[in-house]
Amino acid sequence: MYASRNISLCTKDCLCLFVCPTGATDTENGQIDREKCIDGCRKCVDACPSHAISLVFEEYPEPIPGDADLSGMMLGLLQKKSSLEAAASALAGEKTDPGAVKLAEALRRSFRIVGEDCAREAGFLLPQCDPVRKLKEVLDLTDIGE
Amino acid sequence: MEKVKTEKLSRNALSVLFSNLAKASEKQQKYELQESWSRLSENYRESTGDADFPDIREELVRSLAEDYPEIRKKAQSLSDRGVLRALVWGEKVTTIQKSLIDRYLSKGESLLEGKDIFICEACGFLYAGTETPALCPVCKAPSSRFSKIQVPAK
Repeated sequence: MYASRNISLCTKDCLCLFVCPTGATDTENGQIDREKCIDGCRKCVDACPSHAISLVFEEYPEPIPGDADLSGMMLGLLQKKSSLEAAASALAGEKTDPGAVKLAEALRRSFRIVGEDCAREAGFLLPQCDPVRKLKEVLDLTDIGE
Repeated sequence: MEKVKTEKLSRNALSVLFSNLAKASEKQQKYELQESWSRLSENYRESTGDADFPDIREELVRSLAEDYPEIRKKAQSLSDRGVLRALVWGEKVTTIQKSLIDRYLSKGESLLEGKDIFICEACGFLYAGTETPALCPVCKAPSSRFSKIQVPAK
């Protein structure tokens, strides 16, 4: 676990510089030096008054599996959102009035975001979890890492 | 509500699943992994059907009346609070999608003249107006999570 700074949240109070034992937080590009950062130290995370620094994890726990029938229903809902998205996408291509094109494009984006949420709640939360590993085997996508 | 097995997912449903994994990879700052899932998501993306706004509206009305109550009942019986949360957001966003279509069908092009549509990247909430909302009324994400809908060039 190493520290990472979100530069758009950083208010330049520089408390991270006060507490960092290795100087990893003081760099010319605003990013914390991973080579110097101590695994799991988190002093800068706790000191930062603007919550601009967080720890990036290298390993994630396996999510707790949900009920199989309920996951199947959420995949059913995902399937429906994805059909709506495909339809809105075709509609955005066909329409010519600017308002209609904008509305179809907005709906397309919205259906995808709601569909992604269905996928998460159906068990596909993380790239590093068993349902994704199984899917990668079925689709022969095992060249994609974790 | 039909239960769907992973093997039966359509190509576009897989595209949505993969773009979710790309977003998760980005949050984990695993940018190569993000690129792999994004590319795959684009390969599986589909644009199909001849539905117009009233057809989409009809499907949203049906889903609000049938899908959401049925899945909610099941999720309540299992006390699955994660799924219940997704249903609360999804139902509200679906209602907004439907109402935006209703307003467009009644007012036509004048509805969006001089206005943009803003989307909450966290939950899909849509807002037609001139300024970014300060807070998402559905999921309470801050204004920084909103994007302005850009129309693809024809």
